[in-house]
Amino acid sequence: MTAPLLSVRNLEIAFRSGRDDIPVVRDLSFDLGAGETLGIVGESGCGKSITALSLLGLVPSPPGRVTRGQILFQGEDLVQAGERRLNEVRGNEISMVFQEPMTSLNPVYTIGEQIAETARVHFGLSRAKAWARAVEMLSLVGIPSPNRRAHDYPHQLSGGMRQRVMIAIALVCEPKILIADEPTTALDVTVQAQIFDLFNDLRRDFGAAIILITHDIGVVAQMTDRVMVMYAGRKIEEGPVADFVRDPRHPYTSGLVSCIPRLTMPPSDDPEPLFEIPGVVPAPRDLNRPGCPFAPRCARVMPRCRDENPGLEPLAPGRMVACWQEQEVAA
Amino acid sequence: MTNVLEVQDLKVHFPIRKGGKVHAVDGVSFTLAPGTAFGLVGESGSGKTTAAMACARLTPITSGTVRLNGRDITHAAGAELKAARREVQVVFQDPYASLNPRERAGAIVRRPMDLLDIGTPAEREARVDELFALVGLRPDQKDLFPHQFSGGQRQRIGVARALATRPGLIVCDEPVSALDVAIQAQILNLLGRLKRDLGLSYLFISHDLAVVQHLCDQIAVMYLGQVVEIGSRRELFTRPMHPYTHALISAVPSPERIGMEAGARIRLQGDPPSPISPPPGCRFAGRCDFAQDRCRQTAPQLQRKDGSHAVACHRAEDPDVMAAGTAQALALQPG
Repeated sequence: MTAPLLSVRNLEIAFRSGRDDIPVVRDLSFDLGAGETLGIVGESGCGKSITALSLLGLVPSPPGRVTRGQILFQGEDLVQAGERRLNEVRGNEISMVFQEPMTSLNPVYTIGEQIAETARVHFGLSRAKAWARAVEMLSLVGIPSPNRRAHDYPHQLSGGMRQRVMIAIALVCEPKILIADEPTTALDVTVQAQIFDLFNDLRRDFGAAIILITHDIGVVAQMTDRVMVMYAGRKIEEGPVADFVRDPRHPYTSGLVSCIPRLTMPPSDDPEPLFEIPGVVPAPRDLNRPGCPFAPRCARVMPRCRDENPGLEPLAPGRMVACWQEQEVAA
Repeated sequence: MTNVLEVQDLKVHFPIRKGGKVHAVDGVSFTLAPGTAFGLVGESGSGKTTAAMACARLTPITSGTVRLNGRDITHAAGAELKAARREVQVVFQDPYASLNPRERAGAIVRRPMDLLDIGTPAEREARVDELFALVGLRPDQKDLFPHQFSGGQRQRIGVARALATRPGLIVCDEPVSALDVAIQAQILNLLGRLKRDLGLSYLFISHDLAVVQHLCDQIAVMYLGQVVEIGSRRELFTRPMHPYTHALISAVPSPERIGMEAGARIRLQGDPPSPISPPPGCRFAGRCDFAQDRCRQTAPQLQRKDGSHAVACHRAEDPDVMAAGTAQALALQPG
């Protein structure tokens, strides 16, 4: 078996608060193969975004830092890499598209300049060549009349167009991994569909691997091959996307999958109330007690869940879950 | 029984500096029966929020009429407007921005009664206790500030505030889109329960078709300031007629459609035209797969088809267009 493109091993990320290091990601391991799309799912505060930032060496420090583990990109540990090496990796090898396309673009430069700058810095292209490359990228991400649009400032573009520009910047260096953190949350569904078509083209044409962070179960179902569910900084379930949607095992995962209203045909004239996961995600500081972090919200909680935290156990090849109940059923 | 809301040919135009005007809402009509929820769906810029805010008299109306419980409130002012405000309240999208951070939760919920002179101070306090219980908050949380609540709890405060004056109609402007996925269900269930228990009516604005299908009895699809299709939940989702409605349904990422070929989806190209100088014909024609010359020349009127179902499309009954709608409805059927 060939080594995965990216292999995260026992990652722990902590934030300093007063005299303590409060872990926000704990013992996280996952792999990403070339050309694969991995979904990372969970509520806000589960550690999805900080995990993504850590892959680029962008955990805000201080107060945060990677306190344990490895991030192996093509065998090289990025946790140990210096700032200079990380700058080569960022954009060239791994790039990121953020949620908010307005605040991520510089309002005082034209979008052409912003893309060209990336091309100049990373490839050492001349101004003219970098500009040509920028126009080419705008065309690639489906912006009409790219020659003219390259002279526009971010405020002259719609939300969907801005997100395309962000994607153009992320892709100008043809990275091996594209991390997209809620890339379409601020966009309309029709625009979202266009952006996802674009992602699929990129995967096909460049063989890029994609990490898609989202809380939208529909998006996960449509876009990803494999799903990792995070809760309170830990991975609690992982498996192929079809299993995630049709046969979720962790009570949190099945809660996430069943608490959303689904478009159905024929529609019910008097829909049943939605399934509710009671309560909210615990604060990282409250996680030092023993037991499963989901136990206080879990409908299937057993006495053991409050005392011991279940580890991840394989259910089938490529499938694992951290839940006592599932593990006892399997045993 | 009088309709809670009757909107007739509502127009809201905003003047812009260069002359010209933005046609934010351009001839919208609908009625809302008591105890029902009416959904306005459409993309950003379709005018759904502006239309709803005009109904609540929170944005100036250019022309048309809005009747609330049978009374024309289009030009209401002074005491008359104040009386109308008791009957229609709003739940806003962002539970962070819509609560005063320097006011305690109890005072926030009491504020509409203070402003509209409802009851004695003691009665107001009692009502606040009642409202906290109604939306699932504890009475001792009245003394907390908004930042001490989670997003879902804040939205509960927003709902309690909207209920304070015992309105019959609540305008819900994307009430769950800023909330975390697990919290959305809690708030949607709360809204569903209040509608049933208190006989409330909702004018519900959302870009999320699944949410609208779940909560709304009647639905209007808006595009660039106009209603392009309107009907009951069953009519609209079993037989979507307008090509734009087809595209909206098609674009919703759904777990039901896992593994479905991307080619079966309708891909809308480009952006909507400018609301400053909308095209003369059908406003959707530039992005419509079925557009013909007449679509670009004359604007289609909203025409009733059957029951409450109406559509504004020259080609709605063309076999090709109908087949496209059937395909989208079928794609939603479980496996």
